[in-house]
Amino acid sequence: MPARRLKKSALAPWAFLALPLAMYVVWVIVPIFESFAFAFTKRDSIIYGPVFHGLANFRRLAGDGQFWLAIKNNLLWLVFFVGIPVPLGLLVAMLFNGGRPGSRLYKTLFYLPMTLSFTIIGTIWMWIYNPDFGALNTFLRSIGLDALAVQWLGDKRYMTGALIAVGVWRQVPYVMILYLAGLQGVPTELVEASLIDGASWWQRFRKVILPLLLPATIVAVTISVIDSLRSFDIVYVMTNTKARAAEVLASYMYSSAFQYADFGYGSAIAVIQFLITLVFILVYVGDVLKKESER
Amino acid sequence: MKRVIAIACAVLAATTLFVACGKKGSNELVIQSYMSDEAPKQAFQALVDDFMKKNPGIKVTVNTTAHEQYKTQLMNYLTAKEAPDVLTWFAGFRMQQYAAKGLLEPIDAVWKDADFPAAFKTASSYNGKVYFMPQSWYWWAVYYNKDVFAKLNLKTPNTWDEFLAVCAALKNAGIEPIAIGAKDTWTAGGWFDYMNVAVNGGAFHQDVTAGKVAYTDPRIVKTFDYIADLAKKGYIMKNAASYSWQEAATLMFDGKAGMYLMGQFIKDVAPADKKDSIDWFKFPIVEGNAAYGVDTPFDGYLVPAKAKNKENALKFMAYLGTKEAQELFCKPLGRLAANQNVPVPNADAQRGLDMMKGAATAMQFYDRDAPEEMAAKGMNAIVEIMGAPDKAAEILAALDKERERIYAELK
Amino acid sequence: MTKVASSRWRAFRAAAFYVTATLLVAVWLLPLVIGVFTSLKSMDEIMANPVMWKPPKALRFENFGEAWNRAGMGRYIVNTFIVTIPSVAGALAVSSLAAFALAFYRFRLNKAVLVLFVAGMLVPFQMLMIPVFRMSNGLGIDDSFGGLILFHISFQLGFCTFFLRNFMKQIPYSQIEAPRIDGASDFTIYARIIMPLALPSIAALAVLEFTWIWNDLLWSLVLLRSDAIKTVTLGLANMQGEFITTYNLTAAGSILAAIAPVAVFLAFQRYFIEGLTMGADKG
Repeated sequence: MPARRLKKSALAPWAFLALPLAMYVVWVIVPIFESFAFAFTKRDSIIYGPVFHGLANFRRLAGDGQFWLAIKNNLLWLVFFVGIPVPLGLLVAMLFNGGRPGSRLYKTLFYLPMTLSFTIIGTIWMWIYNPDFGALNTFLRSIGLDALAVQWLGDKRYMTGALIAVGVWRQVPYVMILYLAGLQGVPTELVEASLIDGASWWQRFRKVILPLLLPATIVAVTISVIDSLRSFDIVYVMTNTKARAAEVLASYMYSSAFQYADFGYGSAIAVIQFLITLVFILVYVGDVLKKESER
Repeated sequence: MKRVIAIACAVLAATTLFVACGKKGSNELVIQSYMSDEAPKQAFQALVDDFMKKNPGIKVTVNTTAHEQYKTQLMNYLTAKEAPDVLTWFAGFRMQQYAAKGLLEPIDAVWKDADFPAAFKTASSYNGKVYFMPQSWYWWAVYYNKDVFAKLNLKTPNTWDEFLAVCAALKNAGIEPIAIGAKDTWTAGGWFDYMNVAVNGGAFHQDVTAGKVAYTDPRIVKTFDYIADLAKKGYIMKNAASYSWQEAATLMFDGKAGMYLMGQFIKDVAPADKKDSIDWFKFPIVEGNAAYGVDTPFDGYLVPAKAKNKENALKFMAYLGTKEAQELFCKPLGRLAANQNVPVPNADAQRGLDMMKGAATAMQFYDRDAPEEMAAKGMNAIVEIMGAPDKAAEILAALDKERERIYAELK
Repeated sequence: MTKVASSRWRAFRAAAFYVTATLLVAVWLLPLVIGVFTSLKSMDEIMANPVMWKPPKALRFENFGEAWNRAGMGRYIVNTFIVTIPSVAGALAVSSLAAFALAFYRFRLNKAVLVLFVAGMLVPFQMLMIPVFRMSNGLGIDDSFGGLILFHISFQLGFCTFFLRNFMKQIPYSQIEAPRIDGASDFTIYARIIMPLALPSIAALAVLEFTWIWNDLLWSLVLLRSDAIKTVTLGLANMQGEFITTYNLTAAGSILAAIAPVAVFLAFQRYFIEGLTMGADKG
């Protein structure tokens, strides 16, 4: 470890960091602090100059049912957005990883959803979910499950689930590609064997493959946690942020700031969301960094 | 290390240069418009072309942003230094709140009292100064499919009982009585305006949008009883929450739904071969209360106080107010001009005008008369009640808490 | 196991692979297939026969022409290239500097700087809409390609730095040792040794970044006002308001907007997977 770093001059790293840090601080960090500061001000402060509002915005959050609903929905996103795509992405990656003829084509096709914008994805899925002529309900009716042909995006009970499903659909290919990258260092036979071989496959998978895939898992989980907690695009595109039942923190922040013109309150939501994400990431990244320096 | 710094400088310099190249000249006029639908967009372009012909020195640029997104950007447009010169916007409270903050340029210099009815001046002014150039106005009414009505031998209803009978007949025939695209919650705002005025009268409704009445007030509860009743009877189209306003309109154009409480702009989106089978009637009379209200939103233009080319902006505002310009815009769209010297474009608009002249109350619209947050939350509540009529009391109680807070904050 | 049995077993495994893989891909791509089919149907067909996964009876390629002309797609697509290419190149170049510093130097604030870059990824970025607009406007660079590019570069630094640093961490230190002893400067090591080694991961990152920046809607909305420089997602948003009930045109417009990122992915997909490799054989 000691020999691992360059250390010619104390200034050297800062010379490399100067430009990226400067740009990042000016365009991302300063605006973040600016908007956080507005969490302690009245609704119009960002437009007409700050009027201090103390903790009023946070106090209001505590009693705001919509806010707690958004937290609940965000946790649902987190659970399903990490819980399904990570294992499923790994499974798909292991399936496509072999050098069989055609496997590259499969990988390529499977990844395509990731290349499309949320606007496009949202539009297509809205058609699929349409209660009257959508593909999903057409299919359900055709196999006699008329009772299941519900209003996916219009009914409170199903909205969040329907949106998460779209998110998962898009995320699985992303995770797959991260794992495919990770699997490049793992011998193909090992992967194939662990996929289908009899009794000891779980052992082999757990003891041999998973440790080798740790770096890929780190990236996949980190990205999925971050994306799930700030999930916005799908909710925005598919509900126009007006379906209150499907609200997540980011969409509630957006409607508070831009539909209700209360930037102070929106900022307060953003602060809370940031803190929640930070806790998840610090626990996780901290662990990763510790492992790294132990190496 | 020097090289790292050199690269950094080069990147910065290149970007600065690139940015600097994009700057514009001076004799310009920049307009931000939310008219992204094809019909109004073309009508507006014709106007701009005409203005440029009359003012060959001025180069006009029109930038169009989709309606919903335009609203989120308005604050940026208004507060930018070198702001755009002219913005499309709405009359009434939605404009006046910005005038109150000094974000708008007064346009008294180009305002002509002889051209506009007093009601327009009121809705366009704040504190004795005019800030808004009204252009067109239109009415909200119950639109219906004439072919469907003819086939079922239905007459347009005048009273609530007749309206319910029409709904029942449509439902029996397997047609959705009332179309509404509730995914755009504002479609429900019209129901609240019309129902509340019909039940409680215009003065009361003004108190409501001014925040003076609780949403748990028995009179408002009664208004919602009527709406909830429609929902309970299954007269409001099923799956309304899954449809945008245009998609729901298509259901009516195609005869799958019978009626739709909507603004005149519904004709903009009707296919050419269906335009003639769509007509409208006045919102029915409730409980014998013959004094009625109409939603008559005024659309028009304003100039940000920080506009870069104010002189040109005022020239354009003056032009927008003229009889010729208003006629040029309103005629192809079948809308009424704010300028009272413009002849009514067609018989349909004449009917609309007559309905408005007979009205006891004229409203801009729920989301223009009430503060944004109140209106947005109110419209959500209405949609919720349409979907879950049994929970109306609960929903209204929650809404009233919001009302208390919102109006307190505005003080 | 006999030879025959083992070859049967192999054949069975191959068959199982192709059946599973084909089914999986078919199911996963169904939404895209629906999009493509819709773009080729006539509205009459869509309304009369609302089974979305049925292929069109007659192919209406006119939909694409109409979407292209009415939505003014051509100019939007050119604009999007003008924004996307320098943004991707800039983000990669600038972040590679930071990644190099964080991966190879030991200094007190190393972890703190890394956390700063990661933390920037955690905020709901919609919150930055107004502050970023204010700042751009204050500097007089809003409503220009340059301003948007500069912002995209800065905004993507968090992810790119995190990603590239992870990759560079896997590069064996021995790769640096030798030239250091030969007296190469730090910058030479960065430019001549590390960058070429990191090239595959930079290529992979480029593909990811290209699709993200190409598909960005929010920042174009905030930072661009003039129609003349608007990007394709904004054009698509305008178009969707206008053609919301003509599903076939909306679908055709969407496909036109998606061609570039899909093509870039297809062209670079070979490097993509290889480049993302986090390297199991670390030094």
